[in-house]
Amino acid sequence: MESHLQHNPDLTSAVIYGLGWVYLLLFVLNCAWVRRSYAVDGNFRLSLGGLLGKGQEVPFAALWAIYCAMLLMVGIAHLTGSGNPQTFPLKMPEILKEPINAGSNPVAFFVFSTSLFIAMIVFRKVWTTMTAGWLLLNFALLFVTLSVTDYDFRQIVGKPDNVPIVAMLYIVGFFTWLYFRKSVENDKRRAEGRPLVEQENNEKVLTWPDLVYTELICMVVLTAILIAWGIVLQAPLEEPASAAKTPNPSKAPWYFLGLQEMLVYFDPWMAGVVLPSVILVGLMAIPYIDFNKLGNGYYTFNERKFAISTFLFGFLPLWVAMIVLGTFLRGPNWNFFSPYEYWDVHKLELLNNVNVSEWFWLSIMDRQLPVAPAGSDQLTQIGMILLREWLGLVLVAAYLFALPPLMAATVFRKFFSRMGFLRYMVLANLMLFMMSLPIKMVLRWAVRLKYIVAIPEWFFNI
Amino acid sequence: MDEKKPSTADILAKIRAQKAAAAASSETPAPAAPAPESAAPVPAAEAPVAPAAAPKPAAPAAKPGSTKDILAAIRAKGAGGAAATPAAAEAAPATTPAKPASPAASAGPRPSVQDMLKAVREGKVGAAPAAAAPAAGAAKSAVAAPAMPAKPASATSKKAPSPQRRSLAVLLVVACTSLGCFIGSALTGSVLLFLAGMLVWSLLMTPFMAAFASLAEVGGLWTLHTARFMMPNVLVEPPSKFKVGPLSDYPLNTVSNKWKDQYGVWIVHTDQYEGQNLIFALASVCTHLGCTPSWLDGEQKFKCPCHGSGFYITGVNFEGPAPRPLERMGLKIAEGMLEVDKSMKFQEEMGQWTDPASFVAVS
Repeated sequence: MESHLQHNPDLTSAVIYGLGWVYLLLFVLNCAWVRRSYAVDGNFRLSLGGLLGKGQEVPFAALWAIYCAMLLMVGIAHLTGSGNPQTFPLKMPEILKEPINAGSNPVAFFVFSTSLFIAMIVFRKVWTTMTAGWLLLNFALLFVTLSVTDYDFRQIVGKPDNVPIVAMLYIVGFFTWLYFRKSVENDKRRAEGRPLVEQENNEKVLTWPDLVYTELICMVVLTAILIAWGIVLQAPLEEPASAAKTPNPSKAPWYFLGLQEMLVYFDPWMAGVVLPSVILVGLMAIPYIDFNKLGNGYYTFNERKFAISTFLFGFLPLWVAMIVLGTFLRGPNWNFFSPYEYWDVHKLELLNNVNVSEWFWLSIMDRQLPVAPAGSDQLTQIGMILLREWLGLVLVAAYLFALPPLMAATVFRKFFSRMGFLRYMVLANLMLFMMSLPIKMVLRWAVRLKYIVAIPEWFFNI
Repeated sequence: MDEKKPSTADILAKIRAQKAAAAASSETPAPAAPAPESAAPVPAAEAPVAPAAAPKPAAPAAKPGSTKDILAAIRAKGAGGAAATPAAAEAAPATTPAKPASPAASAGPRPSVQDMLKAVREGKVGAAPAAAAPAAGAAKSAVAAPAMPAKPASATSKKAPSPQRRSLAVLLVVACTSLGCFIGSALTGSVLLFLAGMLVWSLLMTPFMAAFASLAEVGGLWTLHTARFMMPNVLVEPPSKFKVGPLSDYPLNTVSNKWKDQYGVWIVHTDQYEGQNLIFALASVCTHLGCTPSWLDGEQKFKCPCHGSGFYITGVNFEGPAPRPLERMGLKIAEGMLEVDKSMKFQEEMGQWTDPASFVAVS
C-alpha cells in the first residue's frame, strides 16, 4: 500500500491548480444562487441560543453567502498553494474514504442503489424543491471534486473513456429531478382541483421559427461541444489487438456495461441474446399492454404509479447503476474494487460458485451427481441429465408458469381483470424476466449460486 | 402574464396591421396604374384587418393565444383575398391577359390525356398495317401518318429475318473463333494467337455485336475470377499439428505460457486431475464468451478478464459465469516430442477427457 502511494501521488501541482478553478466556478455559480435566495427564500429567526436576545431576522441567503465565501477561500488556497503538493492539506480525508471503501461490495452497491431508488420515489416532494435540487447538485459536485484528490479515484474517473459516463450521471440525475418536480407540481394541482400546468399555460408556438430556431441552436452548441471534447480529450488508444491477449480488465462500450454485468450472472446465451431481446420486445410492447389512459401529454406520477416505477426500476438501478458499477467499480479480472482502492491485478477474491444441482445432490443428499454410465444410449443420458437437474427445472418452471397465475390472483388482481389473459401474461412474463436479473444477482452474492439449471452438455444454463 | 408576454396571435396581428397600414399608405395613392398583383393584396389585407382588429380588444378574455385564432385570422385573410381578387381582375381586366388566356387554352385545343393516349394508340395501330394497307389507314390516323414515309419498301418484310439470323451466326462464329484464339494463347502463351484473336474480333464484328460480345466475355471472366477469388490458394491458419518440445520442458504442476501467443494453447503438467500425473494442452479460450484468460501463478488459477470466470490448473471451472471447463486439445508423443493437434478437442462435460488422445501420461 505504501509503496505504490509514493509512485502514484494523491496530489500533484496540476491537480491542485485545476481544482482551484473548479472551486472558483462553484463560487460563481453559488453567487448567483445567493442572489436568487435573497429574492425568494425569505428570513429565519436567529437567536444563537440566546446570545442575540430575542433573536434577529436573518435571510436564508446569508447561509449561502457563507458557503460562497468558503468556496472562494478554498479556491484561492488551491490556486496559490499548488507549489507544494506533498503538504497540501485540502484533500479527501481518510476518515471518509475508509467507510466508503469498507462498505463497497456488490451487495452494498445494489442495496444502496435500490434503496436510493425507493427513497427517490417516496420522498419525491422533498428532493424536488429548487433548494434541495441545488443542494444535491452542490453535494455531487463537491464529492467528485474532493474525491479527485485520491489517486485511484482520479485514474478511473479521469479516464477519457469514462468522461461521458460522469456527464451522463449528472444528466440522468437532472432529468429525473426535472420529471419528479413537474409531476409533483401537477399531482398537487390535481389534488387541489386546480388545472394542470400544461392546461394553464397551453400556449402553442409555431414550428417555424420557434422550434426550428431552438433546434438550430442546439445543433450548433452540440457541435461546438463535440469539437472541443474531441480536441481536449484524446482518444484512449491501446496497443494493437491480438487474439492471444485480452486487455485486463476488458470492458464493453460504456452503454453496454449493464449487459456485461448481466453476463457475470447468466449464461452468455441468456444474458447476450434472450434478455436483451426481451428488453427490446418489452419496450415495444409497452403501448399494447398499457391500459392506463391517464398521463397523456402532461407530467404526473400519481396517475401512473405502476408504469413509471416499473420503468424507472428497469432503467435506474438495473441499467444506469449497472453501468456505474461496470465502469468505476470493476477492475482487473472483473473483480470488484472500491472507489478509492488500488486496481491490483493480483487481488484475490474467492468466488467458488455452486449450481443448484450440486447443492442438492452433494450437500443435501450427500452423494455423487447422477451420471449416465459410460456407453449408455441417448435416452439414458437424457434421463440422467434431467434427473440431475430436476430441482432447478422445477424451480424455473414454477417461476415462469406458477407465478403468473399466483400474481393474477393476488397482487395483480385488478390488472388481470382489466387486461385480459393474453395481455396480462405478456406483462407478467416481462416483469418476471426483468426481476430475474436482481434475483440472480442476489442469489449469486448471498449463496454463491452459479446456475439454477446447469446443462453444459446442451448449452442450456439458467 | 398576458400583459408581459404577448401571444403569437397578438404578434402576428400586429405585424399584419403594420403591413396593411404600410400597404395602404404606399399603394392606394395610385390604384389604377400598378399591376394587378400588387393591387390585389390591398383589399385582401384590408379585409381581414377589420375583422381581426375588431375582436382584438375582446380577445384577452377569450384566450387570444390559441392556434385556432391564428388559423381563423389566416382563413379570414384567404376569404377576403379570394373575394377581392375577382374584383380586382374585373376592375383592371386589360392588365391581366395571362389569366383569361390559360383557361381558354385548357378548354380549347389543348389535348386531354385521353386524347393523347388515343392518338398514340392509333398511331401504333396505324403503323403496323401502314406497310400493308396505307390507303385504308390514311383517313383513320391523321396524326401518325407523317411518321410513316420512313418505311416505304414492303419488300424488306420478307428479308427481315435473314439479317438477324446472319448476325447471330456471325456473332457465334466470331465469338467462338476469338475465344478459341484467346484460350489457345492463354494455354500456349502465344502472343500471335492472341493477336489473331484480337484481329478476328475487331475485323468481323459490327459495333453492336462487339459491344454485346465484350459484355458477355467480361461478365463471364468476372464471374470465373470471383469464383476463383472465393477459394484462394493459400492456407491462412497455422498448422493444426505442431511440436512443443520434450516432456522434460514441463515440470510438474506448472502451466506453460510459451505457446499461448502463437497457437493459443497452454501446456499443463499436473497431478491434480483425478490424481493422475498428466500433461495436456488446454485451449486458451474462455468457455463463457471466448476471451483469453490469463494464468495467475500466485493464485494457481486461470482467470478471465472479461467476466471474472476462474478455472483450476486442471482447467475445471470453479468461479464466475463460465459454464464448463476449458477445452483440451489433442496431445501425443511423436518422435520423442510432444505434439499438439488443434484439430481435435476434448470437452470434460461430455466425458471426453478420458480419451487417451487428450493427454500424455507421465510415469
